Amino acid sequence: MLSEIGLITLLLSFVAAVYAVAVAAYGGRVHSERLILSARNAALSTFPLLLVATGALLIALMTQQYQNSYVWSVSDPNTPPFYRFTALWGSQKGSLLFWCFLMSAFAAGALVINWRSHRRLMPYVIAYSMATLAFFVGLVLFYENPFERWWLVGGEAVRTVLIPDGAVAPSAARLAETANGLNPLLRHFGMIIHPPMLYLGFVGFVIPFAFAMAALASGDLSTNWIKATRRWTLIAWLFLSLGLLLGGRWAYDVLGWGGYWGWDPVENAAFLPWLIGTAFLHSVMIQEKRGMLKVWNMFLVLGTFSAVIFGTFATRSGLIDSVHSFARSEIGFPMFFFWAAVTVISVGLLLWRWNRGELKDDHPFVNILSRESLFVLNNVVFVLLFVAIFWGSFGAPVISEIVMNENITLGRDYFLQVTPPLFVALYILMGIAPLSAWGATSLRRLGRSLIVPLVLAAVFVAFIVIVGHTAEPAALFGYGIVSLAGFVALYETYRGVVARQRSLGENPLRALAALFTRSRRRYGGYVVHLGITVIGIGVIGSTVFQQETQRTLAVGDSLEFGGYTMRYDGFTNAIADDGRRMEIADITLLRDGRELARLRPRHDIYPTMPMTIAGAYSTLENDFYVLLVGWEANNANSATFKVYINPLINLVWWGGLILILGTLIGTWPTETVPAHLREAAPARSRARASA
Amino acid sequence: MAEATWEKPAIQTTQRGAGRLKFLIGGILILAAVVYLIISGTASGARYYITVDDLLSKPDYVGKTVRFAGVVLGDTIQYDPQNLILTFTVANIPPDYTNLAEALHLAANDPNSARVNVRVENQVKPDLLRHEAQAILTGKLGEDGVFLATELNLKCPTRFEEAQPGRAISEPSA
Repeated sequence: MLSEIGLITLLLSFVAAVYAVAVAAYGGRVHSERLILSARNAALSTFPLLLVATGALLIALMTQQYQNSYVWSVSDPNTPPFYRFTALWGSQKGSLLFWCFLMSAFAAGALVINWRSHRRLMPYVIAYSMATLAFFVGLVLFYENPFERWWLVGGEAVRTVLIPDGAVAPSAARLAETANGLNPLLRHFGMIIHPPMLYLGFVGFVIPFAFAMAALASGDLSTNWIKATRRWTLIAWLFLSLGLLLGGRWAYDVLGWGGYWGWDPVENAAFLPWLIGTAFLHSVMIQEKRGMLKVWNMFLVLGTFSAVIFGTFATRSGLIDSVHSFARSEIGFPMFFFWAAVTVISVGLLLWRWNRGELKDDHPFVNILSRESLFVLNNVVFVLLFVAIFWGSFGAPVISEIVMNENITLGRDYFLQVTPPLFVALYILMGIAPLSAWGATSLRRLGRSLIVPLVLAAVFVAFIVIVGHTAEPAALFGYGIVSLAGFVALYETYRGVVARQRSLGENPLRALAALFTRSRRRYGGYVVHLGITVIGIGVIGSTVFQQETQRTLAVGDSLEFGGYTMRYDGFTNAIADDGRRMEIADITLLRDGRELARLRPRHDIYPTMPMTIAGAYSTLENDFYVLLVGWEANNANSATFKVYINPLINLVWWGGLILILGTLIGTWPTETVPAHLREAAPARSRARASA
Repeated sequence: MAEATWEKPAIQTTQRGAGRLKFLIGGILILAAVVYLIISGTASGARYYITVDDLLSKPDYVGKTVRFAGVVLGDTIQYDPQNLILTFTVANIPPDYTNLAEALHLAANDPNSARVNVRVENQVKPDLLRHEAQAILTGKLGEDGVFLATELNLKCPTRFEEAQPGRAISEPSA
């Protein structure tokens, strides 16, 4: 029954989306209000329909309907309810359905919120967002259907969407017995939240894309589309950032190699849209303030969406051999086709409008030190970083295959060589640009406002040397540049507070609160910069100064490493609630003879595979990260450990939290008082005064 | 009248021209620097991605850093946890296949497939290393015919999507 409900709602949502595309496009052309409203209603209906479809799959998962082959392949009777829920996105089919559901939610939100304010764009927004949705729902429906069921036809088990002739349902007991269970690698809080966050980030970019396309198609090339999408872009960007951070955290906790970013093509595929999306968030401000970069902004927003689709295609089609790409599947070709179509159509429309001279900038670039020029430079660096990472992950392997008939891949060395200079350039710009003014800035003025942050950065570097973290010039340079960007953000906020104190006589806290409420975007942006600074310091510390060692210890023996003493106390075997066997080493961690923590690095033995779970003791200074890598077969009188000291790694996660906070501040809606009330308020106060 | 700016004063044009030139030169310099970075990075980071067959049939590859994929033979896995040394044998996977799980299964059971012994040092035994896993290895083939890997990535498509799941369901309960 659930499968039927899911199938029917899925089919209806596909029909509704296709209908919305056709009717919105035609209605927009002939300016028929009735048709446009009809298209809107069809578009809005996809959300409840996909909600029911997703709900049906979720109920099938929770109630263990193993005849559904998706449920059968991602859960088993031992799977705890929480992981049953997360199994919704545990594999390709479910995650694609979930992706469609999120996309319909975003589209419905954008239609409801912007319906009145951006009426002229709406028919095209409906057409483009629903075309994207129709494509993905089509993929689910025709290629990766999560509502397939197991049937026995003449003794043979087959999985089909429609019930074959003469089919009987397999025995429920046999289905439950043979069910696969959720991939153990996915049983971690990072993996539970990471995919939905990443999807929300990816899917969210469909809204700015649809508005940009609507602007190009309708000819309303003012800043309307930018105003309508600013908040949507920030929300998508926030989720994408969160998805990337959580993915890193998952890799660090679960994959057991002591790191969080491996420059794997799949990781890079998610990082690429983030790079152009970030460039867009910056350059869009120039169009709003100065009416410049109109073509460039279009290019960036279309590029971001194209990168999202490309990333999805590359991850799910098996284009690139990667440790965590989904297995080769049939959706490769349609996805490639869709990506190519999106790119060609959007670039074509953009070039057409450009050629007609409809995207002329209001001001020329004059001064190289103006804020707009520095923003452009920032954009150039972001795009070059995109190009370099794209080339390393996808360009080189694919082009070498086509041109040389030999597959050349670029490993970590490539990324570690090419990206650091570009990141350094970004941090330098992050330090300078906020201090520059629109139009023009003199070198002297810029230099003067840099003095305080430079001194603070120098003090910070001196502090690093004094506490004995490092004296290596390259690392100190890195710390200096990265911290400068953070100090500029703090100093600019401080200057804002002082200015308000002087002119309005407010106390510092009140002045700070007023700054954040009045210019949310600007000061929220500074908080994001601060977060990126903290992440940067964490990345330098944990990659440049990571230490590792390994040792076999007998029970009672200790290992001295990085100022810590680790004592092996014994070995425990246990069975967890979900039936997995655990082999645990008991460790006491000491520093200067004082007990700090008991760690329990372990092996979880699942029926399908073992998993190595690290034990870690975290402080702001570093992580003591220990893996149990081997033990004596009978009594575990001795065991072997691999130990990492990861300096400053927690700053990466803390910086992430600061980044989220800053983005939320920037996204938070400003209370807009309607014009009639604004006018009425002073009138009332005048009336009171005269009374 | 507001549009009557078609003939701009000469001085402004020169300033604009000079400004444009500055931006152009700056842009070219940045681009050149990054192109250099990418080319030099590509030259030093490039690894030929080959098959076991290629590795063994072309002597050119000996001593060169290459990357190749092969299927792990479970019986050959040996692990010395005290010194973190891992050795195993991988067999060639024919390049054209539609179902990876099936291709890995066939390749592992083909007695005639090309095989190479792999040694990985300072490596914790990965959880995914098991029979019929796909190993993607980066390193150098030594004169002794043993491939010394510096990087080991594993993929196990067979784990969660069995090649013939239907058979398990249609068979009566054990």
